[in-house]
Amino acid sequence: MGRYVVRRLVQMVPVFIGSTLLIFLMVNVMGDPVAGLCGDRQCDPATAARLRQEFGLDQPVWRQYLTYMGNVFTGDFGTAFNGQEVTELMSTAFPVTLRLTIVAICFEILIGVTLGVLTGLRRGRPVDTGVLLLTLVVVSVPTFVTGLLLQLWLGVQWGWIRPSVSPAAPFGELLLPGLVLASVSLAYVTRLTRTSIAENRRSDYVRTAVAKGLPRRRVVTRHLLRNSLIPVVTFVGADIGFLMGGAIVTERIFNIHGVGYQLYQGIVRQNTQTVVGFVTVLVLVFLLCNLVVDLLYAVLDPRIRYA
Amino acid sequence: MPEQPFPPEGVIAGGGAMDLSATEAGTVRRPPAAPDGAGEPAPPAAGPAETADRPRSLWSDAWRDLRRNPVFLASALVILFLAVISVWPSLIASGSPLKCDLARAQQGSAPGHPFGFDGQGCDVYTRTVYGARTSVVVGVCATLGVALLGSVLGALAGFFGGWWDGVLSRITDVFFAIPVVLGGLVLLSVVTANSVWPVVGFIVLLGWPQISRIARGSVITVQQNDYVQAARALGASPARLLLRHIAPNAVAPVIVVATIALGTYIALEATLSYLGVGLKPPSVSWGIDISAASPYVRTAPHALLWPSGALAVTVLAFIMLGDAVRDALDPKLR
Amino acid sequence: MLLDVRDLKVEFRTRDGIARAVNGVSFGVDAGETLAVLGESGSGKSVTAQAVMGILDSPPGRITGGEVLFQGRDLLRLGEEERRRVRGAGMAMIFQDALSSLNPVLTVGDQLGEMFVVHRGMSRKDARAKAVELMDRVRIPGARERVKQYPHQFSGGMRQRIMIAMAIALEPALIIADEPTTALDVTVQAQVMDLLAELRREYRMGLVLITHDLGVVADVADRIAVMYAGRIVESAPVHDIYKAPAHPYTRGLLDSVPRLDLKGRELTAIRGLPPNLTRIPPGCAFHPRCPMARDVCRSDEPPLYAVSEVRGSACHFRTECLHA
Repeated sequence: MGRYVVRRLVQMVPVFIGSTLLIFLMVNVMGDPVAGLCGDRQCDPATAARLRQEFGLDQPVWRQYLTYMGNVFTGDFGTAFNGQEVTELMSTAFPVTLRLTIVAICFEILIGVTLGVLTGLRRGRPVDTGVLLLTLVVVSVPTFVTGLLLQLWLGVQWGWIRPSVSPAAPFGELLLPGLVLASVSLAYVTRLTRTSIAENRRSDYVRTAVAKGLPRRRVVTRHLLRNSLIPVVTFVGADIGFLMGGAIVTERIFNIHGVGYQLYQGIVRQNTQTVVGFVTVLVLVFLLCNLVVDLLYAVLDPRIRYA
Repeated sequence: MPEQPFPPEGVIAGGGAMDLSATEAGTVRRPPAAPDGAGEPAPPAAGPAETADRPRSLWSDAWRDLRRNPVFLASALVILFLAVISVWPSLIASGSPLKCDLARAQQGSAPGHPFGFDGQGCDVYTRTVYGARTSVVVGVCATLGVALLGSVLGALAGFFGGWWDGVLSRITDVFFAIPVVLGGLVLLSVVTANSVWPVVGFIVLLGWPQISRIARGSVITVQQNDYVQAARALGASPARLLLRHIAPNAVAPVIVVATIALGTYIALEATLSYLGVGLKPPSVSWGIDISAASPYVRTAPHALLWPSGALAVTVLAFIMLGDAVRDALDPKLR
Repeated sequence: MLLDVRDLKVEFRTRDGIARAVNGVSFGVDAGETLAVLGESGSGKSVTAQAVMGILDSPPGRITGGEVLFQGRDLLRLGEEERRRVRGAGMAMIFQDALSSLNPVLTVGDQLGEMFVVHRGMSRKDARAKAVELMDRVRIPGARERVKQYPHQFSGGMRQRIMIAMAIALEPALIIADEPTTALDVTVQAQVMDLLAELRREYRMGLVLITHDLGVVADVADRIAVMYAGRIVESAPVHDIYKAPAHPYTRGLLDSVPRLDLKGRELTAIRGLPPNLTRIPPGCAFHPRCPMARDVCRSDEPPLYAVSEVRGSACHFRTECLHA
């Protein structure tokens, strides 16, 4: 198990370097960062050259990348061009997005798994077909459309919730945005759970459990669910990383000042330090989530553990 | 793919461990193709029954299923309709999508303008009809690009294995670690050209690893079949092995995933246009229209609802089509 | 009589129509007796076992008629809760593939102990001790340590022993073993079969042994019921059948097995294939493959005629077959 963890950690390194380098290159293509500094005016060449040197922008890209990564590992994510520390922006933005992600994950588990279990056990019945079609619809409607429509109906027309979220972003106000963020994954969780349950329900060991004379409830919870939920748990775990990186649209619709908002602002204002810093952290979160998922998988499935 | 979070399905489902009753019923469902008792005077009742038991191939079986599947028929009709109006939008919309009259901004439906007007006073119906072309072009071109690039690279990795396989797996991991919308924002924010091609290029760039992973897995599975091993033992060249024996049998999962991906690419184009980095006005795209309508959502919700509905139905059609094809091709669900 | 199955009928709904998997099967098992149910795959023997056990997949399966009298009670008339109490405690089942039949994510100790927790209300700790005792019983070495292991950590033979341990856990009156040795190596087959026979004697259990393997049957069975197309076509004490079968299908089965005492004899296979259960031929279901078939076989379905006091045959020409 210890060796497995080390092996996985080692495998993470090239992926981490690759993804951050890719983003670094992308952002460099994004345009001249200095141009954004002088606001709407054209920078005079002397100032531009001075700024370039100050930020190390006259160096080749690979050296910029190495310097940057070196700084990152000492906790220095650099300064946004407006003078604010990037870490400062992160300390306000990440907790908000984290809360949003927690809400979303809760919806995924509560609604997704429940629906999946219900339909998996009633495969082929009207409930099943209905939920299945519903999940397809949810997957099909792009998140921004779902968000705008729910905001229109629940927020504007029926007035159930506040259409936009206050800067503090308490949990209560994040319920609808969390649902919107979760929607597509929720549908996947439902389908995954359903398929897994339906497959395992016909398995030999479930038949054995029935033949042992176990009560139906025990057959379902201890034998069927215990096995069927392994892929679901791993999906939800990996999804934490996806959701944090995918919150841009949701945060924009509901005006939530989280990671996505800061990233969007960073890109629009060509604020390279902000963009690279945030993306680096997101990639790291994503990779760590995947690592945890792999370990979780080994914990849940003894066949992997002892392989 | 040792570090994929999900195990191959067999690990969980228990591969050949089918339920006994299902096995027995299975033999019932699929009668052996060999005619029994050759030369024996056929009993009268068995004669006509046997002719119905011709062996069926995977594809003809799937097609037989699909023809009877209302979900498949409905989505295929929607897609056909979309294809027609994206080639000839003037068939059902007479005006120009760019002819706008600010005086009629945000007005509701009127004779000749069934969907009303948007914030700029453009006819929502005409714009919705013309928006189909963007979506279809982006979806089809991006899918073709992704499928070609992804399946070739993935198939080669699965077939030859070795260092190329390792490198490809790492590259795939790298691409998976970058959130798609974020990548789109970063890359497309520099692009000034206002056309579908940068969007298509971006989708191909970030989309191919998904297909390559599928193609790789599919090729590896098919490769283990006895008939491939037999062909290899008989000295078939790698090219012949891959093209003639493996590819035809490995292509089904790629087609299914690509069909579903087509729908998601259309949604992605709209999302990027909504965020202001995909297409920009004066191009016509549902994403642009939805974005433009959202500030007026209190006063003119119809300008938001129609393009949203069109987008949702389009994406739904492709995803349902892919889903139906998958169900038809997946023997496990039969 | 311990188990008395009367005129059992089971159908499956399939894409191609109704498959009549079991068509009026009747048999009995006494306490301490071993009945072998013999037949090709698709003959309905496994479905019969599942219907008796009450673990038929429904849908698509459905019991459409008959009685299953177990210790005098008709199981088919019991409520689900009463039926459940019979499973595991009154009658237990051993399956063919022990690896897939054991839960992969629970230790074998948990799975064995579960019987005592559920049926006897024991504490987990006591149940664990019972599990070790059972594993000793079926002669798994190092039971105390291995009780904490998972099914995939055992060899095939050891896994099947665990299945047997699970079946005898509550000392049921009847055990149904569905091809218990088919998935095992030949050397291990004999060991497992011997263990099963030994435990049956010790607990005086009735045993229904479902198999397609004539070799297994000869050693352990008291009686044989041969199934074809969802019907019992011959039922007799094991010696009688080996001496002279009273049904051409049984004869075909025997002739297709190599025998040491008839060395040099040519083996003959039964021609053709078992019928499609959605379209069972009229008359005797075996007639398209039968070397003795005549016109009457194509039109009239033979009931299970009594050949002697202890044997029956569903063949119009049973006497000719017997003396052939």
